[in-house]
Amino acid sequence: MKPHPLYPCGRIARRQFLHQMAGGFTGLALGALWAEAGELTAPSASRVAGPHFRPRAKAVIFLFMCGGVSHLDTFDPKDNKWAGKLIDAVGFGDNQAEMRRPVIPCRRTFTRYGQSGIPVSDWFPHVGGVADELAVVRSLWCQEGNHFPAVIETCTGHRGRAFDHPTLGSWVSYALGSANRNLPTFVNLGRPSSPVQLTGGYLGASVAATPFQPGATPIPNLHPPTGGGGAAERDRQMAALAKLNAEFREDYALNSDLIARAKAYELAGRMQLSAPAVVDFSREPKHVQDLYGIGQSATDDFGRQLLLARRLVESGVRFVQICHAGGGNGGWDAHGNIESHAPLCRATDQPIAGLIRDLRQRGMLDDTLVVWSSEFGRTPWSQNTTGRDHNPKGYTCWLAGGGVKGGTIHGATDEVGYQAVENRHYYSDLHATILHQLGLDHQRMEVTVLGRPMRLVEEGGGPIREILDAAAT
Amino acid sequence: MKTQVASSIRAHARPCRRGRRLAAAAVGALVLLIASFSKTNAAAPGKKTAAELWALQPVIRPEVPTGFPNAANPIDAFVGAQYRRLGVQPVGPASKSALLRRVTLDLTGLPPTLAEQADFLKDEAPDAYEKVVDRLLASEQHAARYARHWLDVLRYADADDQMVAAPGIYLWRDWVIRALNEDVPYDEFVRAQLTGYRSRARTQISATGFRFRTEPRPDDLFALGFLARGAVGREGKDDRELAITAVETVSTAFMGLTVGCAKCHDHMYDPIAQKDFYAMKALFDPLISRKVLLGTPEELFQIGKAQGEAARRKAALEGPINALAAPYKEKLYQDRLAMLPPEVRAIMVKPEQERSVAEQKIADDYYPIVRIDTDKLAEVMPPDVKAKFKELQKQLDAIGPAAGRRGGGGVPAFWTVELDKDRLRETTYILTSGDPERPELKHPVAPGWPLAPEKLDFREGRLETFSDWLTAPENPLFARVAVNRLWQWHFGEGLMKSVSDFGALGGTPSNPALLDWLAAEFVRRGFSMKAMHRLMVTSETYKLASTAPAELLAANTARDPANQCLWRFRLQRLAAEPIWDSLLTLAGTLDLTVGGPSMDLGGGNDARAKAGGGRRNAAGGAGKPKNRRAVYITRGYSTSREVMPAFLTAFDVDDGRAPCPLRTQTVTAPQSLFLMNSPEVDDAAKKFAARLEQAAAGDLSAAVVLGYRLALARPPSPQEAAVGREFLAGEAGRLPQFAWLLLNLDEFLYVR
Repeated sequence: MKPHPLYPCGRIARRQFLHQMAGGFTGLALGALWAEAGELTAPSASRVAGPHFRPRAKAVIFLFMCGGVSHLDTFDPKDNKWAGKLIDAVGFGDNQAEMRRPVIPCRRTFTRYGQSGIPVSDWFPHVGGVADELAVVRSLWCQEGNHFPAVIETCTGHRGRAFDHPTLGSWVSYALGSANRNLPTFVNLGRPSSPVQLTGGYLGASVAATPFQPGATPIPNLHPPTGGGGAAERDRQMAALAKLNAEFREDYALNSDLIARAKAYELAGRMQLSAPAVVDFSREPKHVQDLYGIGQSATDDFGRQLLLARRLVESGVRFVQICHAGGGNGGWDAHGNIESHAPLCRATDQPIAGLIRDLRQRGMLDDTLVVWSSEFGRTPWSQNTTGRDHNPKGYTCWLAGGGVKGGTIHGATDEVGYQAVENRHYYSDLHATILHQLGLDHQRMEVTVLGRPMRLVEEGGGPIREILDAAAT
Repeated sequence: MKTQVASSIRAHARPCRRGRRLAAAAVGALVLLIASFSKTNAAAPGKKTAAELWALQPVIRPEVPTGFPNAANPIDAFVGAQYRRLGVQPVGPASKSALLRRVTLDLTGLPPTLAEQADFLKDEAPDAYEKVVDRLLASEQHAARYARHWLDVLRYADADDQMVAAPGIYLWRDWVIRALNEDVPYDEFVRAQLTGYRSRARTQISATGFRFRTEPRPDDLFALGFLARGAVGREGKDDRELAITAVETVSTAFMGLTVGCAKCHDHMYDPIAQKDFYAMKALFDPLISRKVLLGTPEELFQIGKAQGEAARRKAALEGPINALAAPYKEKLYQDRLAMLPPEVRAIMVKPEQERSVAEQKIADDYYPIVRIDTDKLAEVMPPDVKAKFKELQKQLDAIGPAAGRRGGGGVPAFWTVELDKDRLRETTYILTSGDPERPELKHPVAPGWPLAPEKLDFREGRLETFSDWLTAPENPLFARVAVNRLWQWHFGEGLMKSVSDFGALGGTPSNPALLDWLAAEFVRRGFSMKAMHRLMVTSETYKLASTAPAELLAANTARDPANQCLWRFRLQRLAAEPIWDSLLTLAGTLDLTVGGPSMDLGGGNDARAKAGGGRRNAAGGAGKPKNRRAVYITRGYSTSREVMPAFLTAFDVDDGRAPCPLRTQTVTAPQSLFLMNSPEVDDAAKKFAARLEQAAAGDLSAAVVLGYRLALARPPSPQEAAVGREFLAGEAGRLPQFAWLLLNLDEFLYVR
């Protein structure tokens, strides 16, 4: 792709960009829904060209716990022999001075679950029940030690916002397009920590996340305001509108924007029909709803979001991102007291396990990749409290389904759980792994924005092959 | 090399056709300018030297092409010459009604009223159209439209992460609006925003020979919001982004150069070295932002008094609280100290003034460990003491933070910039990757700018010297870049398509002679923007129809498919702001007040807010007006919340983080959903219908005609009128649905 003269330093006309990309982004499809609605008027651009190699997963459900989950109290147990002692925390955060902090004890009990014997704390008993499906990576790290910068780093693969880097889901949406013409490719549920988690950046608004919410109005302005006369009236209006637009459209028959505008109205109409159907749970049997904890006050909200996620994936959505406890620094931020994790774990434990079981029993888990992550973990020590500080130097994520080897533990932190020391993985390796399972080569996922090559994955060692199902790769 | 280039310039400046010659001084300046470049140019392949870039050549006023007897406006002669060259035939003029809607939306961003339509249609005087143009340019709504264009380029935002100047930044926007309404000449417009002075004469000499600085116009203080907007404060400290933001904005906005690329490396294509970026940064490095309180003296006295009283009441309570807490505090403190390593403990027990700098740093690092907050204190107190302690704390909290601890106490404030004497003495270095933490101490740079003359005299001040150079009539980039923007805003595309990049990647203008003539004319007319607007919109080229008979369309499209030479007017989609303003105009609720604080509609959309438990839209604030012109809608960016209402984002408005020379235009389903179903459109349709019903007094045919006139500034065709009447089916109650139809018409969203 040649540098674009209009936006020489990173900004680029979206449509122009997408047109150029159609010929320049090897082997990738560009069928994202809203692109289809008009940004892409060149027929070649909207045809799906397929991924780089045979994909192992069709869709991703990305669970992001906002604020930083303590790996030490969930999936990375350490004995308490350091508790109460002051330990070195040199170079921690922005503090360059020699620094010692008191380690606080972990009050959780861990149980080894399943055949794999993966230890999971008593905060996640239901997730423990599906431990054999999980590949737990205990050696993730990133660079930023504060919430917004770390969220930006972990969702875009880049530090800072000097460039308008897109979020992970947008790259996937951009590369794979939609499998359902009536729904977006990339959907977000729950409130994110930062709008950057939804952005299409230089890939354009058409691949940005579409925020859905459970309930009758999953998308803003989806339905006519009440009192408008109902569907019959709207049909009449649309018919009259077509007639009244006729003369103008004839005058400007060659104008591609007007053609696109007509399509955008059609799509809006299709979304009015299909989006509410996806969020309508009335046909979901009670036992399935129970699996997700729907109907119990602690788990109802998150349970509904995860059931909606499954239904979206079933309908062809490629990437469902679910932000839990977002807004501000994020609910998982536990400086004052680590016990503030307890209600959050309760709210998410059963729904997450329910999702995995439900996907498994429907035969969907094999090609749906579920990822559980957070912007960083938490430190072994406190800041003079019973809580834990931010820890980007070593933390845990886990993956399930989508060609991942269940019952695996990979990597390790040091004996207090501060730094990743064994099989260290920069956060971008998680991105590369997700792309890989979708049949995408992170090295070929490159676009040139004005002479400057841009990628989601710039650093790190590529996919974490040790956790992938050998038969599948 | 140097002499070669110089002689080629002199050759270039040879008498052109009718014997005009470049002013000797200008040639001299240019030779210097190129000389300074040729040194740094270790020419990369494809990289242009200054002598090769057309945009850096002096503007030599071209002769108006002859042989166009009907072209009273020179623009039409230049365009006509291009028609001839390409062999295209322009389409005929637009209808009077289409032209009125076009020019009214263009110059004011509002649709023409019924009275304006009637006046124009019945006025058969030869200058009827010129009268309309003069009326629109004189309207104070004109600048609400054109300020928005400029603010995109100058990266206005109400919020931008940790932007220091956010409260009060709207006063800069309002300054721009007033300046455009007053037709402040463009050179003054730019100088005021760079220096706070419009005039080049910033000093005066008294009768006794004493030279002193002239007082600037007081409202030009707000022009400096342009520079203050770039100041970023992180954790209470200045992040030194002001200068970097200024270089990027000034170079693209006023010079049409992408100097920003040189932040990290020498420019790949243009003759701009990395050191040029930092030289230019050095112009702005001595600036710091400073808060100005805009209260009356009486208000400031009142606030001061209130703060003093609060402090006294606090002090009265703090004594007993401290006495009560002291023993418990001491105990906890000793416990904490005991946890520390002995060497740290030794530092902590030293009085602060006896600690060395290194020791103080260690003490600060350990402060969180020895800090004791009130909750902890309360935990270790016996119940009776605790109760008393809590009661006193409650009384203390009731006084609140020392009223307006941050200063203002509710008085409006504005952030301006000022020279910092210490920073003025600092040396500017090239920064590795533009990182302020990584100065390359081996690479100091002196203040300057790309294309600057070799010897610079900063007696007037760095920015004063720079802005005098920048805004000089001889500066070829200054006028060219500006008239090209004006052209883009009227015609939908610049003569030079890349309006902020006149460098090698920008390509060449579609009509170079016309661009140069316009630039020369802009200078000749004293940089009056309104004069240029008038010149452009009264050209026959502007008045062309946007449609063409099929045969002509086919013939012209074959020769000039992209309509580069403007054989017809480009169909343009309305920008977000005129869409908003049109909706409210039809509803009859638009508040046309000029200026004032921004209107916060709440960011994002309902779905996002609700999904997270939604307290975000609270920012909208109940009872605040939401019916002002869209130029006043809050815009910007934050890492923690959506600032922009979904409506603006859906219709392609940028958030102001980067200069936006040209908005991307998308066509998406959310736009359709907004027009079909949003509460805003629903409300506008109902109010629009009520107006129609009242005016038509029971005659639904008249209501259809009136609706078309108000929404599209034309009567319906017989076919459209029939469809409208049929749709209404004789029921006035269906008028809201009919109004909805009008608001969803393609034509409502487009200027033909």
